[in-house]
Amino acid sequence: MPPKVPRPDPAAAFIERTLRDWRVIAALGAVLLIAPVPLVWLGWPWIRPLLESQFWFSLILGGLAVFIVIHLDAAFILAERKLSAFIQDRKGPNRVGFWGLLQPVADGIKFLLKEDYTPKQADKPVFILAPALAFVISLAGVAIIPWFDQITWPWTGPDGETYTVVGQMASLDIGLLYLLAFGAMSVYGVVLAGWASNNKYAFYGAMRATAQMLSYEIPLGLGLLAVLLVAGSVRLEGIVESQAASGVWNVFVHPLAFLLVLIAGFAETNRAPFDLAECEQELVAGYHTEYSSMKFALFFLAEYSHMVIGSALVTALFLGGWAPLPFTSWLADNHTWWAGLIKFSVFWGKILLLIGLYMVVRWTLPRFRFDQLMRLAWKGMIPLGMVIVVVQGIATGLGWRIDPAAPWTANLLAGGLMLGINILITLGVLWLMSRSRAPVTGRQDNLPDVIVPPAEARLAR
Amino acid sequence: MPVTSEPAELAQGLLLFIVAGILMVLVALLAGALIRRQLHHPVKAEAYECGEPAIGESWVQFDLRLYVVALVFIIFDVEIALFYPWAVVYREAGLAGLWDMLFFFGVLVVGFVYLWRFGYLDWVRSTAGQEPPGGSVAAKREAA
Repeated sequence: MPPKVPRPDPAAAFIERTLRDWRVIAALGAVLLIAPVPLVWLGWPWIRPLLESQFWFSLILGGLAVFIVIHLDAAFILAERKLSAFIQDRKGPNRVGFWGLLQPVADGIKFLLKEDYTPKQADKPVFILAPALAFVISLAGVAIIPWFDQITWPWTGPDGETYTVVGQMASLDIGLLYLLAFGAMSVYGVVLAGWASNNKYAFYGAMRATAQMLSYEIPLGLGLLAVLLVAGSVRLEGIVESQAASGVWNVFVHPLAFLLVLIAGFAETNRAPFDLAECEQELVAGYHTEYSSMKFALFFLAEYSHMVIGSALVTALFLGGWAPLPFTSWLADNHTWWAGLIKFSVFWGKILLLIGLYMVVRWTLPRFRFDQLMRLAWKGMIPLGMVIVVVQGIATGLGWRIDPAAPWTANLLAGGLMLGINILITLGVLWLMSRSRAPVTGRQDNLPDVIVPPAEARLAR
Repeated sequence: MPVTSEPAELAQGLLLFIVAGILMVLVALLAGALIRRQLHHPVKAEAYECGEPAIGESWVQFDLRLYVVALVFIIFDVEIALFYPWAVVYREAGLAGLWDMLFFFGVLVVGFVYLWRFGYLDWVRSTAGQEPPGGSVAAKREAA
């Protein structure tokens, strides 16, 4: 007798069929996009004074940015699964909603409803503190990202005064140091999680993550230092404005520093090819092995938020921040509301491009071995960073820099010289690499000889 | 520029940010606790080590190499943190600033070269200089 197949629930079948219809998803998306418009229109008398005051505008902007970051995190999980499926010739998630578009919603519900277990051997307060800390710290960077320069509202006050607001939550004098400090603090979430779990896999993962994040913090700092030397300011908005005014983004004249910061960014966020802290084949899930339910979700959100903030930092420092087009100062002095909107969108567009790069890199490159990882940091990127900083220091001392006020020929010369230095350093590194022997690690001397028989012999057997 | 960097306002903003972050975490953690069902079972509270019963705990003494990495990191990170203010005032300081920096940098480079030379930057310390038990393969090969 064949086993009884349970009859499908007609209501569930109807919901599933409805949600997998593309028209339903399109209508839902349209409603979500249009919904804020009438709300803003109805609440305009209350919203307008809020927009005029910098404090409330900053709050709205910060809330909006955090909202975008968290919802993008959910979308990235789907995007990453789809991209990996594309790269590996699979279909990826395609059950929940049309083309799997409702997968993040299903994931969210599942995170809420799954059992939340704290293992009995764990250090309970720290076990709960760790994901919370990781999450809060990962979002702290949002506060100082300059999303756009400033907006002068088209209306005037009762006495004819105009209102100008700045597109940055907090304009810190120590902007970059703040970002670096919070980047370094993200180690705490990982190491506390690994320690508090009292699980060997988690502990190994946390230890690896600590060593890795500490090591890559240094090349990151050196790469940023090269930009600071050029900009002469630690204020993020100042660095962005100098790039926007001349139109020469830092990536064009300092490609090596850009690469240094980008690679260190991959390592800081614990993503492949640097995801040693959570590599499945060795450590189950690494530092979050014992975490389930919402606490696990917080780690996941923290990782993706970290990526967004890291990309925002790279965008602001190297890719011109909100500047829409390179080699022109278009919109740099335009402070109308629509220009602000364009700048805000351009900033997010650049972030999305960088995150696309993160994902392609993750699914293309194999993982490093741990000693290779440490060698890349200490013997590759740190010496390279030192060379870049010293050379950049001398170049800045000689007065080679892009100045929007200078004639374009002088800027072309300065930019060309700096690009030339970068190319020279790259060639030097390649030459050194070609000369150095393959590094010896471990007890290589004591390994038995491995004799690979020729193909014919193997086939004959 | 109407940028305000008044400390009180900044502190207010950052405080709000932190409070909002803590609230978000609390809501996320507590909302689920109200809805979900907990079915307790002693096995679920065990440490997950691929189904094997865990032997001992993981709060043990671990490899000292991590300690070396942490020490070296502190030195270099402080160095970079000290470079930041220098980089900001560098253009006004002129040539004197460059010499100061090069001297400071030189001292650190000496330390870095020392670390490199004596193998503190190698994650897997080379045992090439040590004789493995039973003599090295190379020595055996030579003898044969």
